[in-house]
Amino acid sequence: MKELLRDLCLLNAPSGREDAVRTYLIKKIGKSAEWRVDALGNLIVEKKGRRRAACRVMVDAHMDEVGMIVTAVTERGLLKFDCVGGINIPALMGKRVQFGSTVGVIGCKPVHLLEKDERKKLPAQKDLFIDIGATEKASALRMVQPGDIGTFAQNFTPLNDNLFLSKAIDDRAGCAVLLSLLCEESEVDFTAVFSVQEEVGLRGARTACYEVDPTFALCLEATTAADLPGATEENRVCELGKGPAVSFMDRSTLYDRELFHMALNSGVECQIKTAVTGGNNAGAVHLSRTGVRTLTLSLPCRYIHSPCSVASLSDLKKMKELARRMIDVMADGTTV
Amino acid sequence: MNDMINNLLMLCDAPAIGSVDTAARLAKEKLSAFCPVHSLSGKSFYGYLDKGALHTVLIEAHIDEVGFVVTNVDENGFLTVSNCGGMDLRLLPATKVTVHAARSLPGVFISVPPHLSKGDEALSDICECKIDTGLGKEASSLIRPGDYVTFDAAAVCLGDGVVTGKALDDRACCAVLLDVAKRLCAVDCPVNVVLLMSDAEELGMRGAKTAAFALDFDEAVALDVSFADAPGVDSEHCGRLGDGVMIGHSPILDRAVTDRLCEKAKQNDIAHQHEIMNGSTGTDADVISLTKTGVPCGLLSVPLRNMHTPAETVDSRDMQSISDLLVAYLLAGGVK
Repeated sequence: MKELLRDLCLLNAPSGREDAVRTYLIKKIGKSAEWRVDALGNLIVEKKGRRRAACRVMVDAHMDEVGMIVTAVTERGLLKFDCVGGINIPALMGKRVQFGSTVGVIGCKPVHLLEKDERKKLPAQKDLFIDIGATEKASALRMVQPGDIGTFAQNFTPLNDNLFLSKAIDDRAGCAVLLSLLCEESEVDFTAVFSVQEEVGLRGARTACYEVDPTFALCLEATTAADLPGATEENRVCELGKGPAVSFMDRSTLYDRELFHMALNSGVECQIKTAVTGGNNAGAVHLSRTGVRTLTLSLPCRYIHSPCSVASLSDLKKMKELARRMIDVMADGTTV
Repeated sequence: MNDMINNLLMLCDAPAIGSVDTAARLAKEKLSAFCPVHSLSGKSFYGYLDKGALHTVLIEAHIDEVGFVVTNVDENGFLTVSNCGGMDLRLLPATKVTVHAARSLPGVFISVPPHLSKGDEALSDICECKIDTGLGKEASSLIRPGDYVTFDAAAVCLGDGVVTGKALDDRACCAVLLDVAKRLCAVDCPVNVVLLMSDAEELGMRGAKTAAFALDFDEAVALDVSFADAPGVDSEHCGRLGDGVMIGHSPILDRAVTDRLCEKAKQNDIAHQHEIMNGSTGTDADVISLTKTGVPCGLLSVPLRNMHTPAETVDSRDMQSISDLLVAYLLAGGVK
C-alpha cells in the first residue's frame, strides 16, 4: 500500500483536473472489476465479494487535491492566481508549484525590504504571484494559460519507517486504502467511488451517491492532526500513530451514532476526532436522496492542505483494516 | 553557459552553513581544475591564476547560505531553532528542510492549523517555528543542539533560462567565478587573479574580512546578488531580472573601478544596469575595501527574486553577463 500511496501522492490532480489519478486507478483496477465514469468524472467501481450484500454499501475517497488556478498573466510574465480549495497564506509563500511540466515558485517580497509592521502581517492572496521564469507575458502564455490549475510540487519523503511527508495526502490516502481494498478479495460486494471536486464543495460525491443509491456509506478521508508542540490535549483534534480518526460531527455532518460506536468497538485501534471542524464528502453523501447512514474514517495528517503534510503508515494500515470491517458490517445491514 | 548552469545546480543543492561545508568542498574541487587552490579560515578558500603580472585583482563571492541552527530537541522529535541570516518567518510553515546531524535528515517547519492560529497575525518569534522531524524520541539521539538546518529545494531550471532553488544567494556568483577561472586559466592576462569564495557573509561578512586579510591583491571586485523587480518591490530601487549585470555605485566603492566596469560593459555590448546605493552595500565589498590599509573595490550583482527563501530565482543570462564583464575587465588589466 505504501507504493500505491506514493504513486498517488506524486500525481497532480487538483479539483476539476482529476484525470491523472483516475487514469492511474483504472489501470490498476484493470479487468478485476466493472467500472464506469460519470458525467462529472467520478470513477465508480463495482467490487464483487464472496457473497452478495444485503444492503448496498458505497465507499468514497476523493481524487482531487488543493491547487492554484491561473486567473491572469502580467506584462512581466508573472501569474496571478486563486486557490482551488482552502490553502493558508503561509503554506503558499515561497513554495514550489507545477502546471504539468512547467514549474514555478510563489514569490515573496524579500525580508530585507519589509517594513517592521509588514513582517507580522500576512499578505493578501491577491498580492501573491507565481513565477514560472518567464520574463514577459508572451513567453509565459506559451507555458501556461489562464484557467490552468497547478498543484504543489513536492517529493514523497519517508521521515522514518512509519511517518512520511508529501503533498496531497488529503485524499490520496483514502484513494490508496480504497484501491488496496479493491485489489484484494472482499467478503461482500460494495461500490467504490473515487470522487471529483471534494475540495470545491463536495460536488462529485453528490452526483455519484445519487447514482449508486446506497443504504450505507463510508467516506475515507484525511483530517487535521494538531499534535504539535504547545497544543493542549483538547486542541489536538487527533494524533499520529493512534489509528484512524472516527468522526461524530464536523461542519458538514452529524454522523450515524450506531456506526460511530461500532467503529470504536471494532477491535481495530482508532481514535475519536475530538473537534467539530472541517468537513468532507459525508456532508453531501448523508443527505443524498432520502438520506444515507454514513461514517467517516480519516487518516490523521499534520499540515494538511500544504506541500508538506505528514502522516503515518501504521495509521493507514489500521484505517484499511477498520474500513474492511465496517464494509462487512454495513453490507449485512445488521445495524438497520 | 550550460556548464555554468550545471555548476550552479550542483552548488545550490549542496549545503554550506556553519561547520557544514559540502558546497565549499565541491566548489573547491571544481576550481582546482583551473588553478591551484588553497584553504583559508572557516570554509573560505581561493584559487590563484598566476599570470606573472605585477598587478593582482581579487574577485570574490560568498559560499555560505542562510539557514538555521538547532537550539533544542524535544522528546516528540520537534526542534527549536534560531536563524542564521535574515529570515521572513511568515513563509516558514510547511517548508521542507534538511537537518545536518550525524546524517542528513528531512524535516518540515510546522504549520499551525486555523483553529489554533491567532488569526491573521503571522508567527513573529523564531522560537515558535518548530521543525517536525517525525522521529519522536529517536530525534534526541541523532540531532544535537548546534546542528545546522538548510532549506530543501532542489535547484531546477524554469522557463527562459531562469533557475530556482535555495542558496542562489550567492552560489550564482560562485558559479560565475568558476566560469571566469575556466575562461582565463589558459589565456594571457595582464593581471594575476585571486578567486576567493568566502565564508559567513550571512552572519555579518565575517569570512571575507579575515580571508581578504590573508591575501595580497591590489584591487577587488565583489560579486553578490541584489533585489530584482517583483510585485511589492519598489521598481526604482531594484534591478530587472534578465536585464543584465547590476554595476554597483556607492560612496564606499572605488570610483575608478566602477567607471572602468561601466566602460568595459559599454565597449563590449554587455547587458548591464546600475544599482545606486548611498553607503554600505550589504555585501562583502563593505569589508574587503577596508582590508589592511584599504583596497579599491567594485561590486557587481546578479538580480535575484525572493531573497533568503527556498524559492530564490536568477536569470542565467544575468550570470553570463557578469562573467563576460569580469573577463573583459580583467583582460583589460583592471584599473592598473
